[in-house]
Amino acid sequence: MNLLQAAGPLSVSSGEGQSYSGVNEKADLMRQDELAAAEQKNASPSDLGAHDDARALVRLIQCSRCSLPFRMPVTLPCGNTICRACVPQSHEREHISYPDLPGRRQAFRCPFQQCAEEHPVSDCNVDVVLTKLMDSIAEVVAKHASAIERTPAALEAAERWDEGVSLPEKMATQEALAGRLVTTYLLAAEGKLARDAQMDYLPTPEVSGNESAMDVTILSELLETTQREVDCQVCYNLMLDPVTTFCGHTLCRNCLARVLDHSQHCPVCRRGLSIAPSLHSQASNKTLVNLLNGLCPEAVSARAEAVALEEAGGEGGLNTSLFVCTLGFPNQPTFLRIFEPRYRLMLRRCVEGSKEFGMLMYNRYLEPQGDLGPVHFYHYGIMLRIIHSQLLADGTSLIETRGAYRFRVKAHGVMDGYAVGNVERLDDVPLVEEERLEAEETSLPPAAEDDLAGQLTRMSTKDLLALGQDFIVRMQARSANWLQQRVLDIHGLPPDDAAMFPYWFASVLPISDEEKYKLMGTTTVRQRLKITASWIRRIESQRWYQSNSCQIL
Amino acid sequence: MAAPLPKRIIKETERLQSEPVPGISAEPHEENARYFDVKVDGPSGSCYEGGEFQLELFLPDDYPMCPPRIRFLTKIYHPNIDRLGRICLDVLKNNWSPALQIRTILLSIQALLGAPNPEDPLNEAVAKQWKENQPEAIKTAREWTTLYAQKK
Repeated sequence: MNLLQAAGPLSVSSGEGQSYSGVNEKADLMRQDELAAAEQKNASPSDLGAHDDARALVRLIQCSRCSLPFRMPVTLPCGNTICRACVPQSHEREHISYPDLPGRRQAFRCPFQQCAEEHPVSDCNVDVVLTKLMDSIAEVVAKHASAIERTPAALEAAERWDEGVSLPEKMATQEALAGRLVTTYLLAAEGKLARDAQMDYLPTPEVSGNESAMDVTILSELLETTQREVDCQVCYNLMLDPVTTFCGHTLCRNCLARVLDHSQHCPVCRRGLSIAPSLHSQASNKTLVNLLNGLCPEAVSARAEAVALEEAGGEGGLNTSLFVCTLGFPNQPTFLRIFEPRYRLMLRRCVEGSKEFGMLMYNRYLEPQGDLGPVHFYHYGIMLRIIHSQLLADGTSLIETRGAYRFRVKAHGVMDGYAVGNVERLDDVPLVEEERLEAEETSLPPAAEDDLAGQLTRMSTKDLLALGQDFIVRMQARSANWLQQRVLDIHGLPPDDAAMFPYWFASVLPISDEEKYKLMGTTTVRQRLKITASWIRRIESQRWYQSNSCQIL
Repeated sequence: MAAPLPKRIIKETERLQSEPVPGISAEPHEENARYFDVKVDGPSGSCYEGGEFQLELFLPDDYPMCPPRIRFLTKIYHPNIDRLGRICLDVLKNNWSPALQIRTILLSIQALLGAPNPEDPLNEAVAKQWKENQPEAIKTAREWTTLYAQKK
């Protein structure tokens, strides 16, 4: 009665109990690397059954070098894990003078073929979370394995059955007693199960029900005991995309990135972290990712969804990141340096997400903003699209943005220290309405001579634009500072489009932002041109300006 | 409109209540779950023994990236705590780490009561007295504990 057969890479038993020598093309021929690559590709969480996938589950915690369940696992900078004892012999690195910290001189060649990089010894420390996990697993297994030893009668019976004293048959009896998981783990722990070896469990109608139930019990017990180990120490949630630091501590990728916004030290051991603030080149802890995906895929996807929702601003519709800084205009560039930790986080989320964020002007005197009342920003803002973002070595960023559209903040809140809001896009009225307005205003009876606003109101849209363009030409002739070549290089030449001209004009004209802000809430082209025309009239009426083109207003 | 409370704060609050630290309690306010009323017992064997010290603790928006803000409400004679109740403790400032938590911070504060450090003073006058005439300083600390830190 052969319940189980442990098969090496080249021998496999078929489901019908008919043994033959051959090749299981699905897994056995796969080299380690390919196996690892396949595991990696399997990015979407997949549920591994406690009973049916016992072999795959145990493989997750087998070292690819020694095949034993990880002993003092070390997660390498490339995200692969091996036992500490399996770390290859290190050699002295040459021609390296920076940063020349202790332990960085010694390095070893990564044993994983898809990496094969040199890893400095000091970057490879015992993985604390995996070590704790392995200890917990060993404890649970030991508890259940001892149940076998406590039933000598069963063992004796097994001995009698196995006249041939073949290992698999002995194991078969154990399986019936302790389930596939424990049996497979013990085989691996005894060094009798190569990591890439398959195991075929033959159907055992009499006991399979019990076995299966036992595996499920053991696995849920494992999950329960290890639950706290796989919680991130920063967010207290299940680790999402865990990244292990060179000092061996593991956090969610997002949490580690946030920590790095504030300090270059490991939050757990305070060791200096020589990790680029972006974490882009930092590999995930592959073993942990595979374990979590295999054991609790629902929890992993639920967590990923929750994070996505959170970053989208939660359920309140506060889904736009708001940067309270300065004024910006549609179609005009804005260059920003992002250095505050909270805005670094905001920027990272924007860069990874919509590539857009709203910028609002600071409301210094807390002037009331419509329904929002006296808030610390002006409620009309500009949506900035990130054109280029450069992360500097110190973690700050230089970004180039271009104004996409104007909006009004309808509701606002705070997320992780920065403002978020529900915004409403602000567009101009339809062209028909624009035309109607022009016709109406230009056919008004003439305005009084001293009624400057009235005169502007009666001008055609085309003339209003021409007034602005003429002013620019005259100012250029006088070599006005604010029309120097470098300004035009950034903002371009004055646009011919009447809708866009005021935005360009406001971007280059050195007058106060509070004055320029008047353009933000406009909904007609005429309204904007009248505002710019009024600036021009005021500038021209100031006599001191005539003699000095440097300072205005 | 306030952002929803992060999971971390919810879990920390739950654990503070389900697994309380002996001699320390922290109760969140009903209307503001980021604001806690804290009570810390003076450590036994110290000059604050027998006292119950009230503190206020506030978790800022960017907690746990930034440390909790915490202050003694009960008057206390201690070289590292000033008249306004502000505390000079490294983990509340530069040495804060997001892996720390309310529980560990309160334990650190309790430990600070057990081991005043006049070499790094916040309250110069108290620190001076502590260095020049320690028995007298300890006596004053005991008196203040009896005067101001009685359990209610």
